[in-house]
Amino acid sequence: MIEANIKISAIEYCLGENKESGLDLQKDNPDWRIEDIEEKTGIKTRWIALKGTTAVDLACNACDKIFEKIDKNKVDTLLFVTQSPDYFLPSSSCIIQNRVSLKTTTKCFDINLGCSGFVYALSMAAAYIKSGFSDNVLIVCADTYSKYIDKNDRTNRPIFSDGASATFLTKSDSKRVGPFEFGTDGSNYDKLIVKEGAAKSGFIKNTNPTLHMDGTAVFMFTMSVVSKSINSFLNNQGVIKEKINMYIFHQASKVVLDNLQRVLKIPDDRMYKNIEDLGNTVSSSIPVALKDADSNSRISHEELVLISGFGVGLSWGTCLLTWNKLL
Amino acid sequence: MIDEDKVINIVSQILQLENGEITSVSSSENTENWDSLNHLSILISLDQLLGGRAANIPELATATSIKEIVTLLNKNIDD
Repeated sequence: MIEANIKISAIEYCLGENKESGLDLQKDNPDWRIEDIEEKTGIKTRWIALKGTTAVDLACNACDKIFEKIDKNKVDTLLFVTQSPDYFLPSSSCIIQNRVSLKTTTKCFDINLGCSGFVYALSMAAAYIKSGFSDNVLIVCADTYSKYIDKNDRTNRPIFSDGASATFLTKSDSKRVGPFEFGTDGSNYDKLIVKEGAAKSGFIKNTNPTLHMDGTAVFMFTMSVVSKSINSFLNNQGVIKEKINMYIFHQASKVVLDNLQRVLKIPDDRMYKNIEDLGNTVSSSIPVALKDADSNSRISHEELVLISGFGVGLSWGTCLLTWNKLL
Repeated sequence: MIDEDKVINIVSQILQLENGEITSVSSSENTENWDSLNHLSILISLDQLLGGRAANIPELATATSIKEIVTLLNKNIDD
């Protein structure tokens, strides 16, 4: 269980350039019941990257925003969470290091995880700083799932947005990040998957990598496994639910958030949701929600915030934060 | 035992169908509105009815007939 004297001192994010409404979905899919879909997803607006914009482009934009607040020369480690890399190799983090002019002494690597990725990256940042291996870590999350989604895909298109976040972690005089708890169930790896394009399909050229999601199975996973893991985490840490000032979960969809809230018996004023005008931004959804919650004063200095990411893998991770006001 | 009528009642309500339009042989194959969106709503209502115990039966995700749902509930839930 890592608990570290580190803090999240700044978060910035950016979204895909094109705003997509329910009307846009309806134009392409006249038979879709948009009201029913929006009621389930809770999402009225998605942000879709332009054809030529990649996750690395969005990541660099988020980095440029955060470098208006922190000195880029302080960054000694860059962790890039993505499942939409520019290339199979090299790691996209290396490209970002060059594009945003980080020092060549910066440790850079990619983390191939989806919606649990931010919590995993946070644990690595905490471990690196606690061990003295790093002083200041930049976690960048970015994905462009829209490029894997067909315009007629009713399961995925109404949910996912493209976006990127940059989160700066540094030393603190008190424990503000952790403890953590993680889990993996690889037996359900095919419930959320892009099958085409890589080794298993023989690296065939001109394939059209497509996101496949068994939405009902993933929903059942969140209801059973994720809710149990959060309860187990709180029990293991001896934290009573009422002590948590805000629950910020991966913003998967309204139906997932509402039912996690129901199963975990979380009061409305302690359950953060910002999905309506943002969509599901995959690994960026938690840092984006943290940033918005901080900006809107929904979370305050010294408050306890529980974050939990879950999804593709299937993979999940939970962490407790003692909040400090962002730069 | 889970009462089949309770399951039929929930499915009828979610699909906004009259009593009698859903029977013990109904499934997503022979019922027009029983799509993946409404199946989610059926699972949520079942979970609420059963105090959170339906969420622990992952096989319900693919149980898209009255018969399958009732069988799974009776196999996994002691009542």
